[in-house]
Amino acid sequence: MSKPVTIIMIEDDEGHARLIERNIRRSGVNNEIMPFTNGTEAVNYLFGSDGSGLDHKGRALLILLDLNLPDMTGIEILRRVKEDKYLKCAPVVVLTTTDDSLEIKRCYELGCNVYITKPVNYESFANAIRQLGLFFSVIQVPPAAT
Amino acid sequence: MTSDATRRRAVGHILLLVAGLVVLTVISAGSVILVNEARDDARWVVHTLEVESQISLVQLQLRRAESAQRGYLSTLLPAFQADFEEAATQLTPALTRLNQSTIDNSVQRNILVELLPLIKQRIEEFRETIALAQTEHVNDAARIVREGTGRDAMSHIDDLAGQMRSEEDRLFVLRTRSADRSQTLAASLTATGSGLVVVLAGISIFLVRRSARARDHAETQLRDNNLNLEATVDERTADLREANSEIQRFAYIVSHDLRSPLVNIMGFTSELEELRTDIFKRIGALRATAASVPPAPVADGTAEPVLEGEDKQLLQDFSEALEFIKSSIAKMDRLITAILNLTREGRREFEPVRIDTRELIEAIVTTVAHQAAEAHAEIRIAPLPEITSDRLALEQIFSNLIDNALKYLRPGVPGEVSVRGRTKLGFAIFEIADNGRGIDPKDHQRIFDLFRRAGTQDKPGQGIGLAHVRALVRRLGGTMSVSSELDHGSTFTITLPIHWTAANRNRDA
Repeated sequence: MSKPVTIIMIEDDEGHARLIERNIRRSGVNNEIMPFTNGTEAVNYLFGSDGSGLDHKGRALLILLDLNLPDMTGIEILRRVKEDKYLKCAPVVVLTTTDDSLEIKRCYELGCNVYITKPVNYESFANAIRQLGLFFSVIQVPPAAT
Repeated sequence: MTSDATRRRAVGHILLLVAGLVVLTVISAGSVILVNEARDDARWVVHTLEVESQISLVQLQLRRAESAQRGYLSTLLPAFQADFEEAATQLTPALTRLNQSTIDNSVQRNILVELLPLIKQRIEEFRETIALAQTEHVNDAARIVREGTGRDAMSHIDDLAGQMRSEEDRLFVLRTRSADRSQTLAASLTATGSGLVVVLAGISIFLVRRSARARDHAETQLRDNNLNLEATVDERTADLREANSEIQRFAYIVSHDLRSPLVNIMGFTSELEELRTDIFKRIGALRATAASVPPAPVADGTAEPVLEGEDKQLLQDFSEALEFIKSSIAKMDRLITAILNLTREGRREFEPVRIDTRELIEAIVTTVAHQAAEAHAEIRIAPLPEITSDRLALEQIFSNLIDNALKYLRPGVPGEVSVRGRTKLGFAIFEIADNGRGIDPKDHQRIFDLFRRAGTQDKPGQGIGLAHVRALVRRLGGTMSVSSELDHGSTFTITLPIHWTAANRNRDA
């Protein structure tokens, strides 16, 4: 890992965001986490002012994405990320309350790397996030395409 | 108002019909009577003519007899005598006929009474003269003829015949007039009747045409109404579908959005639980420090803090509150999951396939074999009809019902569950019967409601199974019912179409 991985967390529910962050930290991941509470801000950051995503050329990003956002659907963001030539290599972890199999299938079709449903049962939730931390430390996050 | 008019019109039709009938009857009867009368009159006219001809015949024969007598007297030829005899013989039946045909007329009768002896006398005279001539007394005979008594008698006879004829002439005029009158009457009666019939027919035609117009109008209105009705039904159906899918979306969204805060509540409650351990550990440590007792070796933090008195009570209250929160959240999560599953079921497209029901139920029974063994229950499957339906839905329906049957058995009584089936009028009827604890009749409706349960609440469950089963049965175009009494087992009856096609109900749900 030449550069530290930046975790982009797109999650409208601040409580969820907090819980996710805490559990990531507990699992021993200390990477920078950039939280966004709505889709527009996240999209602006990810794709930059020209909408090409050129800003993140050469950076290692990991995107934590909630599907139910107030201003757009997470699926829309996922599609755009996977279509962008600079961002498409960034792993996307979909984290959502939806456990609808159709939706899960759709996300995987669009190129999502991991799909995690948020269980109400906190132990399962914490466990899932911690395993995600393990996943972060194992996978080699490629830098955004050069 | 319309019915009133209709009734009035019907009464009018009947009256018209009655009037027509009466007119026709009168015409017929009148015609018969008048025709009879005319025939009578005609007969009487003919009779008069006959009488006149009889009179003429009598006169003719008498004249013939006279001329034959004269001829004989003057020539003495036997041919004249023969002529006379013939005329005399013919005279008798002519007189008889005249007598018969005038039997009803007193005037003629009187004349005839006077006439008959005269004629007889004349004939006797002729006969006498002829006899005298035959016996060579031609002169005597000529004398008798010459005496002129014969001529007087003859003119008297002519006179009487003339009277008779004039009497008959009078009668002829009278009878002809009467015949004319009855004929005129018959003609005018027929004409009047025909006129009336024509008028009635005209009224009838008018009424019929009016009725036909009214009917056409009503038909048009009916057709319009039907069209309107169809349009309304279509509109309502579309509205209902829209509302239904709206509810589906609503339930889906709500259950999702409800879940999101629930994740937080549960998450932070668990965080609080963690904090609780830390806080009370610290309190314990502080108390120990304050009491200048060396702190207990609890540095690693996994063990429960050692507390006493009020602090222990506080910890218990704290834990109790957290437990309640957590169990409530868990329950709410289960309910939301249930709603989500139901709406998801509602959105699933059914696919009709040919299903061997017995095989399907045997597979279900295999999966619950362990449960059945535990409850000492036996499941019997009777021969079942094959149907075309959605396999997954049928699996859910039957496994829910068999599950329920095993779940709610009477404690201490070996369970008996039977699955039976038959077909009737294009429908397959399945019955799942058990000898379990039964359901109070007042709860029969309630058990099909979502989140509602009945009876002793000693088994885990959300009150979803039967609601789900009924929704599925309805979507498959069927119905279901229960018959049960407390402590006497339950029988759930499901009626499903044998050949279900996705077209009829799928889009409604």
